[in-house]
Amino acid sequence: MDNIYRPYLMNISDMVEEAPGVRTYRLNFLNEDEGKKFQFRAGQFALYSVFGYGECTFCIASSPTRMDYIECTFRQAGRVTNALRELNVGDTLGFRGPYGNVFPIDEWEGKNLVFIAGGIALPPLRSVIWNCLDLRDKFKDVTIIYGAKTVADLVYKHELKEWDARDDVNLVTTVDPGGETPDWPGKVGFVPTVVEQAEPSSNNTIAVVCGPPIMIKFTLPVLEKLGFKQDRVYTTLENRMKCGLGKCGRCNIGCTYVCKEGPVFTAQEINKMPDEF
Amino acid sequence: MEKSLNKKDFDNFITSLRGKGYKTFAPKKNNNLVVLDEVQGADEISLDHVITNNSIKEFFFPKTENVLSYRMEKNQVQIEEPEGFAVKAVIFGSRPCDAFSLPVMDKVFNWDCSDKFWVQRREAITIVTIACDKCDSYCFCTSVGLAPDAKQGSDVLLTKISSDNYVVETVTEKGESLIKEFESVFSGPSSDSSDRQVATVEKKFEIEKVKPWLDENFVHAVWTDFSLKCIGCGACTFVCPTCHCFDIVDECTMTKGDRVKNWDGCQFKMFTMHTSGHNPRSTQGERWRQRIMHKFKYYVEKFDSILCVGCGRCSRVCPADMNISEMLEIIETEASQSENKE
Repeated sequence: MDNIYRPYLMNISDMVEEAPGVRTYRLNFLNEDEGKKFQFRAGQFALYSVFGYGECTFCIASSPTRMDYIECTFRQAGRVTNALRELNVGDTLGFRGPYGNVFPIDEWEGKNLVFIAGGIALPPLRSVIWNCLDLRDKFKDVTIIYGAKTVADLVYKHELKEWDARDDVNLVTTVDPGGETPDWPGKVGFVPTVVEQAEPSSNNTIAVVCGPPIMIKFTLPVLEKLGFKQDRVYTTLENRMKCGLGKCGRCNIGCTYVCKEGPVFTAQEINKMPDEF
Repeated sequence: MEKSLNKKDFDNFITSLRGKGYKTFAPKKNNNLVVLDEVQGADEISLDHVITNNSIKEFFFPKTENVLSYRMEKNQVQIEEPEGFAVKAVIFGSRPCDAFSLPVMDKVFNWDCSDKFWVQRREAITIVTIACDKCDSYCFCTSVGLAPDAKQGSDVLLTKISSDNYVVETVTEKGESLIKEFESVFSGPSSDSSDRQVATVEKKFEIEKVKPWLDENFVHAVWTDFSLKCIGCGACTFVCPTCHCFDIVDECTMTKGDRVKNWDGCQFKMFTMHTSGHNPRSTQGERWRQRIMHKFKYYVEKFDSILCVGCGRCSRVCPADMNISEMLEIIETEASQSENKE
């Protein structure tokens, strides 16, 4: 019987400093056979471990269309992420996953897509964004609205440039008032306001929203005003997790285990949950 | 064929088990406590207690256990699997409520994927239960659908029929093969086997009324009311045979370490706190709601079992004198009142 708590061993093959305190690691399986068998889909998460410090939970930030590696982006915040930041290219870390459900992108074919993210919540959407962009023909218009506190806090700066340069992606970037620089070409304002101004059409459109709770709270009513039905709006939740396998008992919102039934939910599903976020 | 076991043969049974390589655990006096612990012979076994202070869960889901070990050298890591955690053993004299907690917990430790540490210990350990011949005011097994002589979860059930004699019933194949293996210890059917000495446990509330009320009352004043006395010590979760929440942490030196699964509990503030400081269950009232909801609603919806066996340990041990069966009585009253309003 397999040990469900045993992680894969991964080698850090590359890293990118995304923003102050935010870093991306590219990970490769040390055991090639494990790497070949490994599969995941956009939206799933994993537990990453620094040996000697413990495990922490984030979404897989890379796309399943690019299976040679896995990427994770994290902000230095607690004990494990501080230790994670001490690692370097060539170091070993543990990886347990993939866990949880997925974005149903097969159902989105032939539709417009609007991705809305705030701050460090772009990494959980980056997997599904690249997944859809790598299958670009299957979808109609793609809009990405991304905001951060300051220009420095924007993550994936190179990819934002890449998306901006593409004529099949409509990218809107914004920073909070006061977070702009003199040469900032994007918008200044909070994400919900910018979404309202950008006015993405709700006709035949799927919206995917991820951000801090306060951003989600104010963005959902804007989408409703724009005519988005609740079952066309997706988000991905995070909660403190230890096992990721529906056993350790803490990530539930009412009867729903975020690690098993989530982390991807529609606004309709969220509205049915008790107020325990 | 029905068998019986005389008290004077308990020692023979324990010694024979040990002779065949079984570890033997039984209720044992330890100062003012009676704890399920390893015994060498029957003279150590307590038979006059209501229930042991510790529950049976720690033999399957220990307070702390390694789920893996590792060695670190420069940037290389080697993982080692824990071994020898499932040891052939017999737990003798546990109570029916404790035994019943095991099939209830099998569900969470096996759904979707199995926790081998739980599963392999379950396979290795045989449960010989003694039905309760007495109870106390904290017991409420009959309110959650159990009985002081319930069989489910036990491999063998002993029920007292006279001061020295117990009737022996095999419940599972595992129990049957155990009895067969140690056949010489047991006697034939007893003439007084109809005179079973089983405690009468008062039914305190109607469990059928609880879940429908919980379905409708996520927001209700009782949650804060319940929690006002609570000091958040979490003792209730640790003594509970069905509380299974855990934490996973690393314990290490510079070169080697263990990944350790420890008991955790929903009554602790840290249990759900995010790194950002945000906490979905930031008040003790919310944490009590979680405890009651998990046991009497969420687990029922997910696994079709109540996550409570009515052992009453949480209430016996509570330093603030909180009592879960009293809470359920309050919920039952609330439920009846709202029925009447309609």
